[in-house]
Amino acid sequence: MIKKMINKSASKSPWLFHINTGSCNGCDIEIVACLTPRYDAERFGFKLAGSPRHADILVVSGPITVQSRDRLIRTIEQTPDPKCVVSVGSCPKSGNVFKGSYGIDGPLDKYVHVDVSVAGCTPKPEAIMEGLYKAAQILEKKREAMSK
Amino acid sequence: MIILQYLFYILIFPGALFTIAAGLLLAGIDRKVIAHMQKRIGPPVAQPVYDFFKLLGKETIIPATANRAAYLIAPVVSFVSLCIVMLFIPILGFRAIGGAADMIVILYLITIPGAALIVGGAASGSPFAGIGISREMVTMMAYELPLVIILLTVAKKVGGDMLIFDLGIVSAYQAQAGSLITEWSMIPAAVAMLLVIPAEIGTQPFDVAEAENEICEGPLVEYSGSPLALFKLSINMKMIIMTGLFTALFFGGIRTGFVITDLIVFVLISTAVMLVCITTTHAITARLKIEHLFKFYWTVVAGLALVSAVLVWIGL
Repeated sequence: MIKKMINKSASKSPWLFHINTGSCNGCDIEIVACLTPRYDAERFGFKLAGSPRHADILVVSGPITVQSRDRLIRTIEQTPDPKCVVSVGSCPKSGNVFKGSYGIDGPLDKYVHVDVSVAGCTPKPEAIMEGLYKAAQILEKKREAMSK
Repeated sequence: MIILQYLFYILIFPGALFTIAAGLLLAGIDRKVIAHMQKRIGPPVAQPVYDFFKLLGKETIIPATANRAAYLIAPVVSFVSLCIVMLFIPILGFRAIGGAADMIVILYLITIPGAALIVGGAASGSPFAGIGISREMVTMMAYELPLVIILLTVAKKVGGDMLIFDLGIVSAYQAQAGSLITEWSMIPAAVAMLLVIPAEIGTQPFDVAEAENEICEGPLVEYSGSPLALFKLSINMKMIIMTGLFTALFFGGIRTGFVITDLIVFVLISTAVMLVCITTTHAITARLKIEHLFKFYWTVVAGLALVSAVLVWIGL
């Protein structure tokens, strides 16, 4: 019964950790907008965590600059399982207008499996909310796979 | 038979199970009410329960630099000491374990979770935890002084000529002479106690030790999985224990006659105390700096407690 409760809880309290890999700050503002009273992501249990050790969902924004690449990989490795990676904006997905630049070493799926990818420059808060909600459902499936 | 009775006290009521349930309930109400104050819908009241079970299911990572034994034992010590504190707090008429000086036992046991947090943070070997534990130590020193003065004041008020540190006698005195909150000389001490509670629990204006967007939750930075779940649970359990202590000290005169109704009234009063001193201050304030916190506690709060102590000592 406790095992069932743990599996059920995985999707009900996803804590976010936000990684900025050279984003222009546009997507970051929209992520913060999700937590404001207007959209209120906390009603689904979403909470910004202060440390990657506490996080369930890693929200990545920005086109993975060469400088931030090693930090990104290290932060993802520091997060305990089960975890999900959500990319916000077109930059981590394709490189966007920075594609081909010498300072960029993307896209994100070169380094880690991306569970949910929210495209747009910048995506609307509604779209980010839906992406995060889908990630929470994936989290529950990952937890079930872990407990078997 | 007596062993079974004590096991019931420790494991179910008023020990572990009751403290956990009431603490999680209070934390859920706290988050819901804050959300409504900020015009949000807010998480469901059961959210702390989901958080706890989710953390149980996460992988536990032990950093290579950590002292493994101290790192894993610290959260257990914090949890167990809080289960024991609840045994000494009278739930209006009902009292599980009594003693001649249980106020002093409570004072010691309540510092153990803070000390465990310091030990666990130091064992994790993270520089963020280093900053966090130095702040936690200063916070503990800041609120201990007013708390001691408040307890001394209550002991003098109840004892008359001598000091009485027995919460059973405090409760019986209030049942006869009316709750201590109705005595005007005790009101400054009650206000001081209301200000001590948020620092003890570590909520918004006084959460300098666990500032999550500044030093990554301080001592908890390296914790993950079930040890983190125990620490978060300890924080929730402290809510019912500190508000319950306030209820026992200042509202102890209320009697309904039955243990069940006593319990319901006790939890309701504790919730009301929490809404005043934790939820409202959390919703309307920003975080203080550590030196401002220390100054505030040793001047304003200790001053309020001292005013009460002096009034009681001259016989008012």
